[in-house]
Amino acid sequence: MSASVPFLGYGLGLRSAYYQQILEQLPDVDWFEVVSENFMVQGGKALYFLDAIAERYPVVMHGVSLSIGGPHALDAGYLKQLKQLAERVKPAWISDHLCWSRGNAHQLHDLLPLPYTEESLAYIAGRVAQVQDVLQRPLVLENVSSYVRAATDDFTEWEFLQALSHVSGCELLLDVNNVYVSSRNHGFDPWTFIQSLPKEKVRQLHLAGHSDYGEYVIDTHDHPVSDPVWALYQRTLEHFGPVATLLERDDHFPPFAELLDELHKARELGDHVLAGRQQCA
Amino acid sequence: MRLNEWQLAFEAFLLEEAMAAPPTLSASLIGGPTLDVDTGLAIYHNAYKARLLEVLRNDFTAIHHWLGDEEFDALAGAYIRQHPSKHYSLRWLGQGFETFIREHLVPEQSAALSELATLEWAFTLAFDAPPGAPLTIEAMAAFSPQEWPVLKVKPMPSLQWLEQRFNSLALWRSVKEATDFPHSETLEVPQVCLIWRSDLLCNYRSLEPAEASALHGLLIEGWNFAELCAELTVIYGEGAPLQAVTWLKQWVHDGMLERLER
Repeated sequence: MSASVPFLGYGLGLRSAYYQQILEQLPDVDWFEVVSENFMVQGGKALYFLDAIAERYPVVMHGVSLSIGGPHALDAGYLKQLKQLAERVKPAWISDHLCWSRGNAHQLHDLLPLPYTEESLAYIAGRVAQVQDVLQRPLVLENVSSYVRAATDDFTEWEFLQALSHVSGCELLLDVNNVYVSSRNHGFDPWTFIQSLPKEKVRQLHLAGHSDYGEYVIDTHDHPVSDPVWALYQRTLEHFGPVATLLERDDHFPPFAELLDELHKARELGDHVLAGRQQCA
Repeated sequence: MRLNEWQLAFEAFLLEEAMAAPPTLSASLIGGPTLDVDTGLAIYHNAYKARLLEVLRNDFTAIHHWLGDEEFDALAGAYIRQHPSKHYSLRWLGQGFETFIREHLVPEQSAALSELATLEWAFTLAFDAPPGAPLTIEAMAAFSPQEWPVLKVKPMPSLQWLEQRFNSLALWRSVKEATDFPHSETLEVPQVCLIWRSDLLCNYRSLEPAEASALHGLLIEGWNFAELCAELTVIYGEGAPLQAVTWLKQWVHDGMLERLER
């Protein structure tokens, strides 16, 4: 991890189901990640809670609509609003996904896979530079779960992430669950993916649940983190050292205490692994 | 295939109702050990439609309740195909739903349904409108006698003014309160329904015609307080100023007005 940004610890995705309880209980959560688009509005409940929570906790902004690999021009209005939100909440960093979510004519509202080709690399690196110019900070990009891949790839996904971060200066949000989901769907070794990423570029980790259908796995964020993902997470921390970790849940919201218990599990595991690393050092 | 061409083909596949990928798209993809290309593409196709339908079901809960899953999804699916999303935020997906209902269905079907869609959409508009600076009772109490006659107001940014011919509010309320869903009916007298946000909560209220006409004068016709009193004199005579103050206090108490500075 780069020395310029402190280790934020263990955070939760901020979801409206828990707004009230967060302010009432001020739980032992180190930071919150907010879905940027949910707060790119002019007023109301979401902004009220965001302001109140950002006063008390560090916040990171995580977008879903940048469409960094999309076939359209980057949306200047979107970037302006994103920057305004950043000025409001002063996030530790701003992330989105290595994907496309908007087509030529329409918004597709999904994190769609990209061909990992030389053409994509040049195209996306140029767009990352434009975004970084506007935001005046490195963009952090997350690996997505995928269900098909292009037959003409020049790179594996991890080689592409590595090359893109090198060429564009972007940083990486490593979603351990997404690596697991894609590894099952495409038949690669998840550890090869993770250990290939440049340590100094990995700004943040994501943990989430998925739905396992046997022959394939879908990234649903509606279950607790699975055992294989916990095992990968442990190995990831052993390899990278301390990296800010975020637990995501987007559906089938459990009671808040259950989610806090799951976050506590990440913290305990992290503390254990990191203490072991220090002893070895 | 070049990146742009490949994305065009992928986008066209997602937007088509039928889940049949063109051979050129399928041939450009590979699956995994137990996930074939067709299944992988179907996951994306299903997710696209399901995500958008869920948004519309959440934004139009009363219409969903009224039509049921199958009929709602058919209507919303037709809307999505005709008006694919253009805004980066799904918050705006339902913006044209009311117009689509009005234009897509025959008038006998569409009139009450589109009015209900307008009502439900108005709540979403009030929910995240800019906060504004509501005129307060305390501020009014401090007005000098000279300020009263020339007092002008404007609506809070969240205020939505709806004119209703059907019992849409009763339908909406029954879904919210989980009571028996009434039959759709034409109102004996059309009524004005206001929706606005005060503090963080959305409020609604129906107005009797006289009150609606008075508020309309202030907000739309630009009357000041003296002009409101003069207009009310026709009906209320000497009691006009008292009636004007009573209503004004209520509207201010409800948090639906801003002072229009001179």
